[in-house]
Amino acid sequence: MRRLTFLLFSLFLGVGLMYAQKKISGTVLSSEDGQPIIGAAVMAKGTSVGTVTDYDGNFSIDVPESVKMLTFTYVGMKPVEEAVKPHMVIKMSSLSQDLDEVVITAMGMKRDRKALGYAAQDLKSDQLNTDGTTSLASAIQGKLTGVDIRQSSGMPGASSQIVIRGARSFSGNNQPLYVVDGMPISSSPDFSTGNSVTGANISDRSIDINPEDIESINVLKGQAASALYGIRASNGVIVITTKRGSKNTSKPQITISTNLSAERVSRKFERQTVYAQGNSVASGYNPSSSMSWGPKITDLPNDPKYGGNKETDPQYHGMYYNSKMKDAGLSGWTTPQIYDNVGDFLGTGFTENTNVSVSQTKDKIGYSFGVSNSYQNGIIPSTGMNRWGARGLVDWQLTDEFKTGFSINYSNVNITSAPAANSGIMNVVYSAPSEYNLKGIPYNVPNDPTKQILFRSTSFNNPYWWADNDEYRQQTGRAFGNAYVEYRPKIGWGDNYDLVFREQLGIDFYTSTYNDVAEVGSATNPKGQINNYGTTKNIFNNLFTATWSGKWEDWHVDVLLGNEVNQNNDRVWDYFGSNFNFYGLPVIGNATNFTSVEYLRKDRTVGFFGSVSASYANMLYLTVTGRNDFVSTMPRGSRSFFYPSVSLGWIFTELEGLKENPILSFGKIRTSFAQVGQAGRYYDNYMTVPSYGGGMYSYAPVNYPINGVSSYTPYGVLYDPNLKPQNTSNVEAGFDLAFFNNRLRFDYTYSYQDVKDQIFTVPIDGSTGYSSLMTNAGQMKTNSHEFSINGAILENKNYSLDLGVNFTKIKNEVVKLAPGVESIMLGGFVEPQVRAQEGATYPNLYGVAFQRDEKTGMLILNDKGLPMGTSSSVNLGNCSPDFVMGFNLGARYKRVSLSTTWNWQHGGKMYHGTNMVMNYFGATKESLPYHEGDIEVTGISQTTGKEVTMKVNGQDYYQAYYDVTESGIYDQSFLKLRDVTLTYQLPKFRGIDISVFGFARNILIWSKMPNFDPESSQGNGNMGGYFERFSLPNTSSYGGGLKLTF
Amino acid sequence: MKKNILVALASLFMVTSCSEDVMDKINKDNNNPGIDVVPAKFSITDAIMSSAFSTISGNYAWLASSFTEQEFGTGNNQLMKAELRNPSEVAASTTYNNEWNSTYANIANLRNIIKKTSPGGLNADQTDILGMAQTLFALNMGVLTDLHGNIPCSEAGMGAAILNPKIDTQESIYAGSVLGMLNEAIVNLKAAGLLNNAKAQDILFEGDASKWLGFAYALKARYLLHTQFRNPAVLTEVIAAANEALAAGFDGADLSVFNGVTTDNPWTAFFWSRAYTGTSSTVVDLMKERNDNRLVIYNFNMHKNNLYGTPGDEVQAGLTETLNAPSWLNNGACSVHLLSKSELYFILAEAKTRLGQDASADFTKAVETSFDDYQVSDSDPKETKFENNGSEYAAGLPVTLKEIMVQKYLSQCRDEQIEAYNDIRRCQALGENWIELKNPLNNQKGVNYWPERFPYGNSSVISNPIINEAFNNIDIYKDKVWLFGGEK
Repeated sequence: MRRLTFLLFSLFLGVGLMYAQKKISGTVLSSEDGQPIIGAAVMAKGTSVGTVTDYDGNFSIDVPESVKMLTFTYVGMKPVEEAVKPHMVIKMSSLSQDLDEVVITAMGMKRDRKALGYAAQDLKSDQLNTDGTTSLASAIQGKLTGVDIRQSSGMPGASSQIVIRGARSFSGNNQPLYVVDGMPISSSPDFSTGNSVTGANISDRSIDINPEDIESINVLKGQAASALYGIRASNGVIVITTKRGSKNTSKPQITISTNLSAERVSRKFERQTVYAQGNSVASGYNPSSSMSWGPKITDLPNDPKYGGNKETDPQYHGMYYNSKMKDAGLSGWTTPQIYDNVGDFLGTGFTENTNVSVSQTKDKIGYSFGVSNSYQNGIIPSTGMNRWGARGLVDWQLTDEFKTGFSINYSNVNITSAPAANSGIMNVVYSAPSEYNLKGIPYNVPNDPTKQILFRSTSFNNPYWWADNDEYRQQTGRAFGNAYVEYRPKIGWGDNYDLVFREQLGIDFYTSTYNDVAEVGSATNPKGQINNYGTTKNIFNNLFTATWSGKWEDWHVDVLLGNEVNQNNDRVWDYFGSNFNFYGLPVIGNATNFTSVEYLRKDRTVGFFGSVSASYANMLYLTVTGRNDFVSTMPRGSRSFFYPSVSLGWIFTELEGLKENPILSFGKIRTSFAQVGQAGRYYDNYMTVPSYGGGMYSYAPVNYPINGVSSYTPYGVLYDPNLKPQNTSNVEAGFDLAFFNNRLRFDYTYSYQDVKDQIFTVPIDGSTGYSSLMTNAGQMKTNSHEFSINGAILENKNYSLDLGVNFTKIKNEVVKLAPGVESIMLGGFVEPQVRAQEGATYPNLYGVAFQRDEKTGMLILNDKGLPMGTSSSVNLGNCSPDFVMGFNLGARYKRVSLSTTWNWQHGGKMYHGTNMVMNYFGATKESLPYHEGDIEVTGISQTTGKEVTMKVNGQDYYQAYYDVTESGIYDQSFLKLRDVTLTYQLPKFRGIDISVFGFARNILIWSKMPNFDPESSQGNGNMGGYFERFSLPNTSSYGGGLKLTF
Repeated sequence: MKKNILVALASLFMVTSCSEDVMDKINKDNNNPGIDVVPAKFSITDAIMSSAFSTISGNYAWLASSFTEQEFGTGNNQLMKAELRNPSEVAASTTYNNEWNSTYANIANLRNIIKKTSPGGLNADQTDILGMAQTLFALNMGVLTDLHGNIPCSEAGMGAAILNPKIDTQESIYAGSVLGMLNEAIVNLKAAGLLNNAKAQDILFEGDASKWLGFAYALKARYLLHTQFRNPAVLTEVIAAANEALAAGFDGADLSVFNGVTTDNPWTAFFWSRAYTGTSSTVVDLMKERNDNRLVIYNFNMHKNNLYGTPGDEVQAGLTETLNAPSWLNNGACSVHLLSKSELYFILAEAKTRLGQDASADFTKAVETSFDDYQVSDSDPKETKFENNGSEYAAGLPVTLKEIMVQKYLSQCRDEQIEAYNDIRRCQALGENWIELKNPLNNQKGVNYWPERFPYGNSSVISNPIINEAFNNIDIYKDKVWLFGGEK
């Protein structure tokens, strides 16, 4: 960055000279070590005249006579403004140690960080890990306290779940509100993946945001911070400011950056390569079994049924016969050999990110324009993503009184993804017997592409056939942005008073289309089907605010009043066609059976809000806010809600005795209280066209209309006409301390949240004829502790070392659900599931456990010596981790800098169906000792109730063990290297600043769970992160890039 | 001034943008009709489909097919566990939850139709649809109580009005909501005469009230017969009801809208989705003993391994897509029997035989009808080469109670397993054991593992304390339902 500034100011040095009328010289030094600062920008205030300091920190500038002040800026340093003197010595201090910085809070209000009565955390663009990823979630992972970020997988466009300080809703939305340049935008997925046991993941709409466009992110975690946003902000707010016009320059600043990376599966499943396909060693080789419990691969030629070592056929000696190979048009006879089916299928992914931006502030206009492209090829064949983005932002000071501007963002995102769970392909890859050449053996019968060939039954697709025939495609075109006018009337009250009116109108408009295509011959859809669905959202947001501020001696008061109208018009459609006429044209026109649904939906929120902040003597800061929302989606009479908040900050180091303390340089105690609510979506009870499918059916066997006749039956969900808003109360307290001239900082926040009268569809007794009732019930509470330590350990002109550590511990408890309701399902199968269960933390796993002896905890064994499952489902463990830590280390030596982010999660359970099934199938290395012979087991006898030791067949025991869901519950603990980036700032070349960098990201260092990366799971909603079943793998990336600025 | 204008504008905004009326308009459900505006005939369509597709053909039938040994549970998953009499499957409330819920949802739908077609309702004059709804109500409630015993009935299907319905005794349910409801249906269907309000919406009989009348009488015969243990004198009433059904022209209540392409028979859809059904040696042996031509259809070499299941065989239950399976499972166009013609003739034959009357004509008709049904259900006649010699075959059979029950059992292998399960339990209550069940796991070390009933559905067990308590007090292996000799 030094190069950049040096360059910029060197460029218009000449320009400045032409107008110079008096000469000023001086030196700019670092206040920390007294070393000269090279390349600091020196500007004559109110002009475009400027220069930069040389290698000794000296400068010399000719400025017009009228100039009274000079400003000194340097990246990473606090700006300095000083009156003009013939010779000046300027000391600049590092920005990282500056606590006077301004942060953007609710409604775009700029506040001094020190004035806040609640925890605020923000990330600047250079703190985001944007290289080698396309997602915002992965750019901020490991950087924030109190924020839980769970990625569903490493696939292009994979959804992620961001939850701030635990959940507030059992089954509803727990994701924060995103506000981009003052405009709230939609970030949740267009469609929920529901129980998440079929089909592919659906991206969340934060994928439309290019992390490279972001100037800063401010996370409003507590309700006191977000209360001004009203009903939509109970889950916290992520305030994003996009890149704006840079400092006043005579010439546009152009930045081109690009990075390329290669992805590999972050943890490759290494299966056993000893035993062949089959149901047991004794029953011999079985070329259609889904399991790998067969004889040793080396013994295959001796197999009595399929072996070639028979005297009758000497030509097949040393070979064995595989009927699937025969079906595929090969001879069927083959020699035992080991294939790396996992490695063959999971290739090398590729990610490219390119951004070009132009920005400038000239006279009264600031602008920033940019175009970007992100392109990804997934590690699974046929998956990928392509995102094009364009944006523009203009701020224009029209007159002394009027300012106007706009911000517009456009994106076009195309994603092709892959299915999991019951539609899975990864299970087929993982379970493919080592001796079966999954890649090499043709995937269909010769001349009939609709007849798949697979080593096992084709209730699952051959993954290669799938990649070439079926598709899950998502496409979104989106534009969002706003325009504003600011009016600052000249009332003549003097400099101590300020009054501003601001009117901002924004839109968020997008259309997403989805195509789920199953060609003729697909597993579970042999007749072929296509589902074309999508949504158009049109969100209109009008925000009017009036702010007034005044200062009198030690007092400073800010008042804000405002009105916000948010209207959302949705159109949703779903066109389904099945039973294609013929193979090769998987489009809806080739279907012979059609159903369609299309509907419109509207909602409106109107809010009136106000905020008063008062500060005294730079020491005490008090803010009171209130907002009243009117929400259309609630029943008549329950539409109006009021949300108050109050926060107080006390900088005790401003007390006389503590001022200028050499050790404790800053200390603040803060506390806040707030209430925020959430609304439900209420309708009068209604009828719908019934549908069939689910349960045992892998498709929809009956679809209305039938022979032109349709039907209406009561919808399974009832609506409570007495619905009221759910209420979240939040108390927060904490302190910020800074030591040694702010070089070491320590922040701690405790937060308690109490959520009452949850709105959710309470499952009800099915004998009522209905499945659930949308009503208020239940309570959830959250205790969270967050702390962070940031230290500038070493700091010198030539080198520096910074360390940041953050720690989050959140306990999110389900206190009670509805009367008679012990737990509710969030997703999964009939068994196992992810649930919210009374008395457990949110969420938990629910399924069949081992029958255990109550006293000893030992497994109860049946007569055959095998473990057994409980007859009904029980709580199998809490998903949320004990704590999560992030480590950020930044080091610089001259032109080389290194930054790295680590993430450590401790505890938390997940269901890992793939591990469990691969064990059951005898495909894991762990299963090796159990393939042959007996083992000795000890447990409690089911019949006698006494401890027994028995000899049982190893395979029988192993399969009985991995048939019980509890065997698939794993501790999620892991340590990951999220990002390591090494940057080299090249010497300036022909006036161009060039930095090159290499990076690696998402490298799993250690995990308690065997075989797979724990960050791979099902679902894009509240169950996300905890339930794995043949889910798509996560990836590690390695790459590099360069950035040019001129 | 400017400020005043702004304040005025803002106030105007407030009044117009968030008044209750405006908000009501915004929140209006434009996509779905309110409960009270949809004419009853549009709901009767799915009342029929749901009865056929979910109540009598879903998990209730799939599980029953393993308990009766009419089919073999295979495929290394749920039906394997049922075949192996694993209590975590057989005794779990989750196993039957889907059908429990969908049947009660159907009850709620039927209550809604009955309300609309009763005096004061939206379609008060449509007594034909009222009679249809009452007939289906009796069928759904009959299936539920036969399988689950004492269940919510009088307070069931009422939505938010009663969130925790109480449990009624099976005795009262039979008197009121099964047989009583059928009597009401009969009155209304007779009164309906030539009314045809449903037309094509009636996917069973195209709105023909006389056919519904026959169906209602046939159901009455079936459910009267179920009470035989509690009311030994019922047989003459059974015969009377069955004769009334025939007099009304009853020719089977078969839902035949399935085509195997866009609308699939539920058993076929289950087979195509899971392939959990195989051929059972219990049926194979009975057919072989009788040199029964239906064997080629029943024991179809589906996966080219020519291997059929032996009830309780652990290895076979663990196989996937291996065992033989009935040919009709590949025929998605098969009809579903809500009550088959052959069942009615078997009912007549049984009642008459028990009363010492000549039942040979009814028995012959029953067997012939079954042969015809096997023939039309065959998915691959070229392969099976089935020869329909029903009349000849029937003529060679002894007209004994045992043979009647065996033939009924064989005829009901396709989709009437719930009735076969009821017959086995009914006869056991009468001290008769006509079908010898072979699964060795039915009795393990002297402990019974053959379910005498089905447990309540999970949604009720976890959400309704009354049902939760009842669930915990019932042992499905010991407690028979009231009809078949128990108390609960």
